[in-house]
Amino acid sequence: MKDIITQIFEIENKIKPEDIAQFKRNFQRIYHELEQEGYTIINPLGQIYDERDVSIEANIADNGVKITKVLKPAVYKMESDGSNTLIQKAVVIVG
Amino acid sequence: MENINFGIDLGTTNSGIGKFYQGKVNIFKNPVGFRDTLPSVVAYRNSRILVGDKARELISVQPENVFSSFKRKMGSEHIYAVPAINENKTAINFSELVLRELINFVGDDKPTAAVITIPASFDTIQSNATKTAGYNAGLQEIVLLQEPIAACLAYANLQNIPINEDKTWLVYDFGGGTFDVALVNINNRELKVMDHEGNNFLGGLDIDNLMVEHILCPVLERELGIGDLWKQIVGTADSPYKKLFFELLYRAEEAKKELSIKENAFVELDIDSKFIELEITRQRFNELIHSKVIETITLTNRLLEKNSVTNNQIERIILVGGTTYIPYVKTTLQKEFDTIVDSSIDPTTAIIMGASYYAGTKTRQTNTAIAEEKEAQTMLSDVKLAYEVNSQDDEELLVGLVPNEFSGYYRITRSDGGFDTGLITFHSRFTEFLKLIPKNSNFFSVKIFDKYQNLVFEKENLVINHGIYNITGQPLPNDICLEIDDSLGTTYLEKIFRKNDILPLSKKLYKTISKPILKDSGEKLIINIVEGRAETSPASNLCIGYLEIKSEMLSANLLKGTDIEIDFEISESRDLTINVFIGAIDLEITEIFNASAKQVSPSKIQLELEKSLINVDDELLSYHPEECSPAVDKLNGVRLEIIDLLRELIEIDGDLVTDRIYNIDERKRKVFQIYDDLVRRKHLLAEIDNYQTAKMEVKESLLLKPNPRIEGLFNKVIKNEAQFLNSNQLSLIKSKTKELDKISNEIYYQEDESYINLFYFYAYRELSEYVDEKLARNFINGGEKAITEANYKELRGVINGLYSLLKEKPKNYFDDKDGTLGLK
Repeated sequence: MKDIITQIFEIENKIKPEDIAQFKRNFQRIYHELEQEGYTIINPLGQIYDERDVSIEANIADNGVKITKVLKPAVYKMESDGSNTLIQKAVVIVG
Repeated sequence: MENINFGIDLGTTNSGIGKFYQGKVNIFKNPVGFRDTLPSVVAYRNSRILVGDKARELISVQPENVFSSFKRKMGSEHIYAVPAINENKTAINFSELVLRELINFVGDDKPTAAVITIPASFDTIQSNATKTAGYNAGLQEIVLLQEPIAACLAYANLQNIPINEDKTWLVYDFGGGTFDVALVNINNRELKVMDHEGNNFLGGLDIDNLMVEHILCPVLERELGIGDLWKQIVGTADSPYKKLFFELLYRAEEAKKELSIKENAFVELDIDSKFIELEITRQRFNELIHSKVIETITLTNRLLEKNSVTNNQIERIILVGGTTYIPYVKTTLQKEFDTIVDSSIDPTTAIIMGASYYAGTKTRQTNTAIAEEKEAQTMLSDVKLAYEVNSQDDEELLVGLVPNEFSGYYRITRSDGGFDTGLITFHSRFTEFLKLIPKNSNFFSVKIFDKYQNLVFEKENLVINHGIYNITGQPLPNDICLEIDDSLGTTYLEKIFRKNDILPLSKKLYKTISKPILKDSGEKLIINIVEGRAETSPASNLCIGYLEIKSEMLSANLLKGTDIEIDFEISESRDLTINVFIGAIDLEITEIFNASAKQVSPSKIQLELEKSLINVDDELLSYHPEECSPAVDKLNGVRLEIIDLLRELIEIDGDLVTDRIYNIDERKRKVFQIYDDLVRRKHLLAEIDNYQTAKMEVKESLLLKPNPRIEGLFNKVIKNEAQFLNSNQLSLIKSKTKELDKISNEIYYQEDESYINLFYFYAYRELSEYVDEKLARNFINGGEKAITEANYKELRGVINGLYSLLKEKPKNYFDDKDGTLGLK
């Protein structure tokens, strides 16, 4: 499932900013359905780099502090006992 | 005596830990990120010590404080200066940190003894240095094992290969950063490394770089009009393309992985709003990496020549290290050495597996009980932790207090594997902002270590709820619910917000249209939001938002099954905003309902009263006509009140001035509450009975004639049984009973004989009910003949024929009924 989520994320990112409005509801719905299935998807774009955040695999350029590009989002899966597990680390570029 | 059981691969690039238990090896996953291995990298940042992935990330930012590949310096006098803490460290110190981190992977039953693997090239001093690192990490007993031997053990044990004659195996270890090859002699279950070769700077990363340089950069140069891109990327430390380089490396690695399983891979890049796509074929990839693979073959041949071993003396080559996933590596080895190339086990964990197998056979020499007692005595008991249990913020502050001038380290991790502070030094008091996952319960573990990094305090399952409660707002006094149709022709309440949820609140629900609403047909879609108790009947609750979407408002027909999005928002002053969006007909309506204005619809009240009157009458019929009981008296009272309310509704028709409609609504809710109290419990119990009977019926049928597919359907229906049976939702339990009945029906029609009854259901109908009487007659004759000949295939065809001839098709009980509100 995490690969499907990454593909959805990539499709969303491929859409030009001026066109995204018309797809907004579709993506909201997809993410809502994924949430119902127990997946929490986090896009850390714009966050300040935090070395304690191990849900992120960062490539740090130019001594940067902010996440400027996200290649994969972080994905957590809710288990049947109610606990969460990180099933995919976000892959990001900090710069 | 107990066995050692724990095996550790203390690798140059990556490390890992496993345990032998009941004949099998379990590899412990890193609780941070849940990977099998841990990068052997240590970093010092501010007051933190980071080990693993996060340490590796900092290589490009603070290279002077990040240490990797230190295994190569084990046992040497090399001193590493650490500017961040102004101290000097050795490879032993760093290895100790990696080992401590690996020990942390193990849950409660922490190892006090372990088998640790070392390269075949390690001399006595280097071996002893590894042991020292292990003792410093808290292990009391250490047994060393050479990596190639560990790999052979893993393969031999997993495949149960008999080792009773003299054999020569070649262990080919092509990892992320290093290459090693070793000749191993196997004789009478004894394994010995004959000799080895290697290159400490040849691994998977070199292949990624080759892909960037020779495949990706030329395309980018052409597309973006940049000259000598690769040289610009690697030529200077402050290259403007550094960020691009990381992305290209990532894309190259992904493509490399894909090419291990597919013949071609596509790389997509979006650079400065220019979209570039390129295809890499496996053929092209193989050509590219050819020189690197040949480099490993040359080293291997040199090893064989040195030891006067010919190709045909090698019984098998076993593969270790992530780079051996590449098919070209395997096929080239096969071609070159013409022997078995064994890749049957995961090459990234083979060494851990082998070390653990070996540990499972080694008996412990030291006494564990003494060690545990000693450890128990040193635990801290008076640590105070202060934090907010509920939060709406992204981070929440945790304060820890340890009395008596304590100095040591603390470390906080989140149990989902997404947060880790690393080891941080502190004196008596520490504060940490804990990162929270939105809208979740976040579980943290707090550990305190003394200055020797021995664990002295542990608090598991410290929970902080995010977004579940706001600590400042006012709570909802009742549930807020949406009335929706069920599949049985009635309605029920679905909770939008729970009682005691804190305002303001917002939620989006996705529903479907439950009946066709044709344009200008006079039909309408009703959205009714009530405040009260979700488990009671919709009409007994207070309506706080009521919206009708009439057929005249539609631009096109609204079909059953169309999706509808509804956003609900309740402000702190309890104003309710509803936004309805139906994408199929591009209709969007927003309405705000003020908390002080009650929402009433005379037509809906009338509908509810009429329906209830039928229900009350039905209920009264269940009692004996002569019976006099308080329940019957109350039901009669309810009946009279409903009739009176219906009469009053007719009287006020057209009255837009007085408050009488509100009075009627109030009285209606009161009388429905009385009715609910009278019958709901009784109906619920009866429905639970129906459910249990239907369940037993299916269970018995499955016992007599097991069918995995139907059993799957059955288990799906009864999943979360306790939850729906205790929900007090009559509709929900009824729909579950209906689903069970549907399964029973399916079981029934699995028997061919069942079709005989179905045939007569059609055969005994009046011929005038069929479109073509003559054809129907022929079908019936054919059916009777099929029954005498027990030709059930033919009989099913006859039944289909008769069904299609019927002028009016019989209704299927199991079909969902159209809703009354139009919302499901």
